[in-house]
Amino acid sequence: MQFNRTCDGANRRDMLKIGSLGFAGLTLSNYLAMAGNGQLTKGRADRAIFIELPGGPSHLDTFDLKPNAPSEVRGSFNPIKTNVPGIEISEHLPQLAKVADKFCILRGVSHTLAAHRLGQEYVNTGSKPIPALEYPSYGAVLAKERPSDAEIPSLVAVPKAAQGPGFLGIRYAALETNSTPAQGQPYSVRGISLPDQISVHEVTRRQSLLKKLDRRFAEVEKSDQLLEGLDQFGSQAYSMITSSRARQAFDISQEPESFSRQFGEEPFGQSCLLALRLVESGVRLVSVQLGGWDTHQDNFSRLKNNNLPKLDSGLSGLLNGLEQRGLLETTAVYVTGEFGRTPKINNRSAEGGRDHYPRCMFMLMAGGAVKGGQVIGESDEKAAGPRNEAITPDDVAASFYYNLGIDPTTEFNSMTGRPITLVRDGNIIKKLFS
Amino acid sequence: MYRTINRLTFILMFISGFWTSLWNTEANEPAVHPGKEKTADIIPPINTRFAELPESESPDFQKHIIPLLGKLGCNGRACHGSFQGRGGFQLSLFGYDFHADHAAMLDDSTGRIDLQDPDESLVLAKPLDGDFHEGGKRFEKDSWQHHVLRTWIQQGASNDSKKPKQLEQLEVQPHEIEFTDSTREVNLRVIAHWEDGSVEDVTILCRFKSNDDSIATVTDNGIVNDGTAGDTHVVVSYDNAVIPIPIIKPFGSKQKFKSTTSNHPIDQLVDQKLRKLNIEASGTCSDAEFIRRVSLDISGVLPSPKAVEEFLSNSDPRKREQLIDKLLQSDGYAAWWATRFSDWTGNSDEQLNNVLPVRNVATKMWFEWLRVRLENNVPYDKIVGGIVNAQSRNTDESYLEYCKEMTESCKPGQASRFAEREGMPLYWARRNFQTPEDRAIGFSYTFLGVRIECAQCHKHPFDRWSKDDFEQFSKLFTPIRVNQNLVAQDAKKERDTLLAAITGDEKLRGADLRRALYTAAKNGETIPFGELLVNVRQISDKQKSAIELAKKQGRKAYTPALPSGKILGQNSNISLDHDPRNELMEWLRDPSNPYFAKAIVNRVWSNYFGIGLVDPTDDMNLANPPSNGPLMDYLAAEFIKNQFDLKWLHRKITTSNTYQRSVEPNETNRLDQKNFARHVPRRLPAEVIYDAVMLATGSDAKASLMREEVSEMAIADGKPKRRNQQDFALEVFGQSIRESNCDCDRSDSPSLLQSVYLRNDSEMHQRIMDSSGWVTQACKEIGIDGPLQMSDAQYQTAFNRANAIRKQVVNQMLRFQGASDQQQLKMRKTITSELSRASIKVESLGFQMPPINRLLAGRQKWEILEPLPSKTANQEDLKNLVEQAYLRTLSRYPDTDEVEISVDYIEQSETPADGVASLLWALVNTKEFIITH
Repeated sequence: MQFNRTCDGANRRDMLKIGSLGFAGLTLSNYLAMAGNGQLTKGRADRAIFIELPGGPSHLDTFDLKPNAPSEVRGSFNPIKTNVPGIEISEHLPQLAKVADKFCILRGVSHTLAAHRLGQEYVNTGSKPIPALEYPSYGAVLAKERPSDAEIPSLVAVPKAAQGPGFLGIRYAALETNSTPAQGQPYSVRGISLPDQISVHEVTRRQSLLKKLDRRFAEVEKSDQLLEGLDQFGSQAYSMITSSRARQAFDISQEPESFSRQFGEEPFGQSCLLALRLVESGVRLVSVQLGGWDTHQDNFSRLKNNNLPKLDSGLSGLLNGLEQRGLLETTAVYVTGEFGRTPKINNRSAEGGRDHYPRCMFMLMAGGAVKGGQVIGESDEKAAGPRNEAITPDDVAASFYYNLGIDPTTEFNSMTGRPITLVRDGNIIKKLFS
Repeated sequence: MYRTINRLTFILMFISGFWTSLWNTEANEPAVHPGKEKTADIIPPINTRFAELPESESPDFQKHIIPLLGKLGCNGRACHGSFQGRGGFQLSLFGYDFHADHAAMLDDSTGRIDLQDPDESLVLAKPLDGDFHEGGKRFEKDSWQHHVLRTWIQQGASNDSKKPKQLEQLEVQPHEIEFTDSTREVNLRVIAHWEDGSVEDVTILCRFKSNDDSIATVTDNGIVNDGTAGDTHVVVSYDNAVIPIPIIKPFGSKQKFKSTTSNHPIDQLVDQKLRKLNIEASGTCSDAEFIRRVSLDISGVLPSPKAVEEFLSNSDPRKREQLIDKLLQSDGYAAWWATRFSDWTGNSDEQLNNVLPVRNVATKMWFEWLRVRLENNVPYDKIVGGIVNAQSRNTDESYLEYCKEMTESCKPGQASRFAEREGMPLYWARRNFQTPEDRAIGFSYTFLGVRIECAQCHKHPFDRWSKDDFEQFSKLFTPIRVNQNLVAQDAKKERDTLLAAITGDEKLRGADLRRALYTAAKNGETIPFGELLVNVRQISDKQKSAIELAKKQGRKAYTPALPSGKILGQNSNISLDHDPRNELMEWLRDPSNPYFAKAIVNRVWSNYFGIGLVDPTDDMNLANPPSNGPLMDYLAAEFIKNQFDLKWLHRKITTSNTYQRSVEPNETNRLDQKNFARHVPRRLPAEVIYDAVMLATGSDAKASLMREEVSEMAIADGKPKRRNQQDFALEVFGQSIRESNCDCDRSDSPSLLQSVYLRNDSEMHQRIMDSSGWVTQACKEIGIDGPLQMSDAQYQTAFNRANAIRKQVVNQMLRFQGASDQQQLKMRKTITSELSRASIKVESLGFQMPPINRLLAGRQKWEILEPLPSKTANQEDLKNLVEQAYLRTLSRYPDTDEVEISVDYIEQSETPADGVASLLWALVNTKEFIITH
């Protein structure tokens, strides 16, 4: 445990023994004990939105601009001021510049995995991938530790989950929407919503028929875990399918236009709106993907015309929306790609591109106990690496879990019975919460 | 997977010394010889010797101090056994490294031992004071533990031997516990026999752990108390020994049950155990249950309604054996078991990415290679031999011939050509099977059913394996190299020629090269393939040049030692100047190998019973003995005697009464899960459910096509899968991901998503309502409308077309009636045939046309277009239909209640088709459908 490195003040002997999993255990955790001592603001989020930017967004053209760097590094974008004095971001993120007080920028985040899949696995779990075993996604951990009510899935991925439940097992897998919603359109999801030709009345009738016919094992049922489990899942599925709660949570068309408009018309923005509705109705974690960041060629026009406007409207809409609904305090938000991109612009196309670059990247955190309006960490003059000590994906993961009141040193058993620490090497970034 | 965890997690123990004896003895002979006390005087327990501070005795570091620290929990993972230590003090995990532990304790900077002032030693002060010690208070002042530690420190805190002392035998008395009404508590006594001849009662220093606390609890002092009925083991560990003690707690008071009348060896061995437990087995399952169960288990295919009806009406007393034989010959058998073998051997598309120049064909080849061998019932050891000893080229095949053959095999639908090849080198080419360590872990998992990964970092906690064993074993795999660009020395030129023919002068790399090769192969050109090489050069090039340089400079050359490795558990070195795989394979198939046959027997058994004799099936270790040792030994020995004949094994298991038991429990076996006294229901595997749904919902024609041509089915790996593109349903139902060297990569646990899928996924609705589905077929057969209802737009179109015909007809009639009688007579024939054509058309659009003669006579004007009245089904038809629905889903006839409920439901539905669709929906959603019974 590299705990001492950043938390030097804490005396090991004063820490309480790490307890078992779950809430009871958490209150005993040394981290929360520290929080109790006033060293940290206590994590208070109980739900989360994880926004993934697969492909690897260029840090230099978004949240870590270097206007004084040589032109082959600087690129064509200019920084603009945000609503927080001293913080500047890309000119193509004007909406986000207006809400910079709501999120925290992490700069000089650094790791070593330059392949998409490995990088994704790393930032999606907070532990460096190892061949023997796959770590679980943040959502899977929440689904296990804090399951939602029966009518509502614990974990939803819009449209797909980049990371599975790993060793925790398929039962903690995300419900994948497989599609993205469009503004003002009714929206439903695979398996959750009834198809048009079948009414709730019909499903209820069918369920009653099923109940009458499914009695072959009535005798055995009470003493058999499998049969009991199947029964339980069956009735949960029925309540989820027939309850208006799940369906309504997914149906973004129920939002007034005045509210949904601020998320922009793009599928990504509307997915952010969906995420908001879902966490509001009790889903523990919603992951949203915005792809297209793998800009080996035409880096600048692609960012300017496509990715940045989508991110700008969607994410600013989400932060504003969460605040308007009073959800920002209880919803931990984490935005990340799998790596940054090379400072030096390549010659692959007329305007050049940037290649994979894990040594320096940015991440964003908001919500819960995160103190917005600050920049933590710093990259060097060419954004080629952290200026001082690097922030690692492990640290950010530990902080994300902390923000959610989950002890990052919690131990789980792998499928082979091997005890695994949730976040192997992460240190909580105290500044996020102070 | 939930059941794999609990038992093993906290047992902290390991073994090595007595293993040698186990290795060499007959499998069913106990490894240790309990009760056979040696004549030497037994040293009394240390807690009595140190109750008062003794004057003369010095505690021994290995025999007493480390076991005591282990017993106190000091070297556990959560405490000082953690790799980072705790409070600046680290002990070796599970306490096997005496040298390091001694050094750590005496390290001045930790303050653990203070030789000048023993009482100031933290090793005493901390465990005496709960406030001062994060781990809390561990013992009392002036307790024997305190005395032992203090005396040892006072006498210099020494570790007197450089090499660990050999524990020759750990004797546990009694060696088996059978609780009775009068015997509900048993004291274990553990005696250590050391190589120096000393014999000591070490009970108080042992760690005890019950594998199932509900059946037997054990105290720190080795007192075993009974719990609920059942059987388990108490595991005793001390020094490097791990001894499982079988515990039996019979169900109810002893009464005499009828012993099995079967002379089937499986039944007799199972019965022996059941008698001890006082469990009565359930009766035999019905024929309907049998055909469903055995079809799904052997071949993965739901039996057809016709097959069920024929089987039920067959009166041949040997019909069950006949069915088993038939199933073992079926295409489903080879396909389904090739899927299972693919699981165990790790046939993963993700891991095979780029191992061949042509993409997405490697998994299919692998599967097909296995499938053909299973179809031909090639002996298991020969199949494994083809994998373990795999070479890329066949015997006497030139590189060019090899490339030609492989290029052909990569073409669509040509995987069977690959199946004709001698070896299956793809096993060695997987991305997650490249480092020697990954190979050691994967090889042990696949062929031995043993998890040695723990030993990669520390002594295996439940078995004999040390870090050194692991390293020596890993080394054996270092010479094997597989890489797409790697070919034998003699083939380099030819490879370059082949490449040049494709790429011309261009130097292509990476994706560009792949594309060029792919296109060339598609155009019928022969493309170069990589080969598996065994790198047995004794000295590397680098070392060679270093030697040469040294020679030139007149220095003495450094000659590196020849690398070598060791087979797991074997003492002799295998020099790596030759391919070590042959020796590895010979070791596997040797009848004395303690794992090879058992691993496959256990996995096959688990397929039929949902639980292995050793469970989890890939975790054979000393602390996890088989639930029925004699049965495991019998099956493994006979399997070897039968030349590793897999079909013999399947037949032996499925012909037993044990396999054919009913699911109905009785009072004595209701709670038992692992002694095979009744059929324990289990959820069908992902692929089997997937196919069963398709077969149950598809029309007869569609279903029989599937059954005839299994290659498209999920059980035949017919649904390609990639890490991010796995078929949704298969993923939800837990198809194996084949990635992590664990049988738990396949999941058979139920989940909410599975229930949601079966109830409401659009795929399910689609299959039920499909025009090639059974509901449509059945409705058609009894003459009612199918489930496909027209949309409003479709209705409007049909209405418009019928209405246009109506207008034409009305106009025609006006003309006809306006004509003279003579003209009418002339026109009559043509107009009648036109009208009947119109009538057919109108009806096909779903509307009514008045009778032709009424129209012609002008008695009806046809001013309004009316839809056809919907037909109603008759009761008899509906009853037959319900019967068919049951046969195709649950493989049985419905009882009278079920027929009545179903027919009522259909009749009360909005349309009969709705009712039939709902019935099929309900049947595939019953528990009965997705479990075995």
